[in-house]
Amino acid sequence: MLDVRGLDKHFGAIHVTRDVSLKLEKGERRVILGPNGAGKTTLFNLLVGEIAPDAGTIELAGRDITALSVAQRARLGLARSYQKNTLFDGLTVAENLGLAASVATGTARSILRDCLGLGEVRETVREVADRLHLTPHLDDRVSTVSYGIRRQLEVGLALATRPDVILMDEPTSGIGPEMAHSFHHMLASLPRDLTLLIVEHDMDLAFDVADTITVLNYGEVVFDGLPDAARSSALLKEIYLGSWEDA
Amino acid sequence: MFRLTGLRLGTLALLSAAAVAYTLSTGFAGLELVTEIAILAMLVVALDLVAGFGGMVSLCHGALMGVGAYAFAMASTAAGMPVLPSMMLAVGLAGAIAWLIGALCAGSQGIYFIMVTLAFGQMAYSFVFESPFFGGDDGLAGISRPDLDLIGIDLNRSRAFAFYCLGALAITLLAAAHILRSGIGRALVGIRDNERRMQALGQTVWLTKAHVFGLSGMIAGLAGVLAAQHVMYISPGLLAWTVSGEALVVVILGGLGTFVGPVLGAAVFVVLRHEVSAITPYWHLVVGLILIAVVMSRANGIFGFVEDSLARLSSRRRHTPAEPVVDGETRDA
Repeated sequence: MLDVRGLDKHFGAIHVTRDVSLKLEKGERRVILGPNGAGKTTLFNLLVGEIAPDAGTIELAGRDITALSVAQRARLGLARSYQKNTLFDGLTVAENLGLAASVATGTARSILRDCLGLGEVRETVREVADRLHLTPHLDDRVSTVSYGIRRQLEVGLALATRPDVILMDEPTSGIGPEMAHSFHHMLASLPRDLTLLIVEHDMDLAFDVADTITVLNYGEVVFDGLPDAARSSALLKEIYLGSWEDA
Repeated sequence: MFRLTGLRLGTLALLSAAAVAYTLSTGFAGLELVTEIAILAMLVVALDLVAGFGGMVSLCHGALMGVGAYAFAMASTAAGMPVLPSMMLAVGLAGAIAWLIGALCAGSQGIYFIMVTLAFGQMAYSFVFESPFFGGDDGLAGISRPDLDLIGIDLNRSRAFAFYCLGALAITLLAAAHILRSGIGRALVGIRDNERRMQALGQTVWLTKAHVFGLSGMIAGLAGVLAAQHVMYISPGLLAWTVSGEALVVVILGGLGTFVGPVLGAAVFVVLRHEVSAITPYWHLVVGLILIAVVMSRANGIFGFVEDSLARLSSRRRHTPAEPVVDGETRDA
């Protein structure tokens, strides 16, 4: 579904992404681990097209998308949620989801129809809101809802585009354990044909959700394998997991 | 997101009723006032569409108005085309030029967007000013109004022309409301609020901006056509950046992104200009002081102030706890 080969990126003298290759099968849930500054968010920015790579290729469902714009990649089914909430704060929760669904269906490019009132869009809003427990907040303005609700909505916007692949950048950052637990359940309940690539610091979530784990260190893939292998990897203990296992 | 609230609809209904009643009862000077307000209101509705709802603060809308005026004048006088096709050509040309400007400026933000649109506006102004083809500094005269004799309307009469302009303003408002309620209008507001996210969702941002800028340019072009028909003469001054600046002042005065506010702002601005300039030649000072007061009050213009005040009042009423009841009667405070 997502095939990344030899991705490389420099910011001046700093080599932030070093020859990164990943291959995600349809429906795979892969978690990317790595210490701060490992280049996880940069990798996401490269994958969605917010920054251009110096070398390497990205294929989505067999199509080379390396030269495509952010919007073109999104229309092909590559969605993304951000580490810091990137929402439409002046709009209601329902309008946020409706706008995302409208863009995905192409109705947000129409000059003839009001996209938010369309049955298809309203159905998506209802479905995503139900899945993320946002229904009681649909009429609330985003600027007035709690941080936890905004984190849920952040993922909701990506889901509302009905993508094939979602890149989630630390979806549970800043939320309490109870909400994080409920988020685990939500991820587990997503359709199995949806491919997920998740950057996560919460180890419980990472090992709970992941089919496979990739570890980045200094922009380089240092581990790529099953969660059990990750747990027993001496290299990972040294660069990342030591503190987690000791805890 | 754009909402045609009861307050907005009510205000529009009130303004319409007042405009019709005043136009039916007033004399020549009053009719000139109504015509001026209607034309300025069209220009500021066009500007509010891009600046208020799209975050694209344009300083070339005066030039787009001028393009409409000059295109109409050239087509109907020099080329000898009938008035109605000339009007359509002028509106289409202004829209096409605006689309191009919107597409080229779509990547710019904030002050850079303002500066680039200012540059486009000044280029258009200089071109018309220097070109003998467009009459240079002397402008063009002999511009005719549409001939509606067939349906018994003589647009050379001030009252009929004032109603004609009010009709054009009504159509403009309907068109603007439709654009803002359409998919592209919703996307525009999304882009204003969070351009990066709209791109990540799959919207081609530059194209959305260009389309709305083009539609806004068509409205500005129509305002230019009416301005040319009103005075039956045009000069390069119509394209000057000060016209765009004045339109921006009116939008801010009325309420940026409030849809109704700019129309209200146009009425206040034109009436102030007429009334204060009768007392003192320094009427700009008075308008400037009012604008400073509006900006310093942190209200979003006159209409924004009314909307916020009513919203606060309504919220206070909702959150006021019910008075405790003692023995079936309300206890005195």
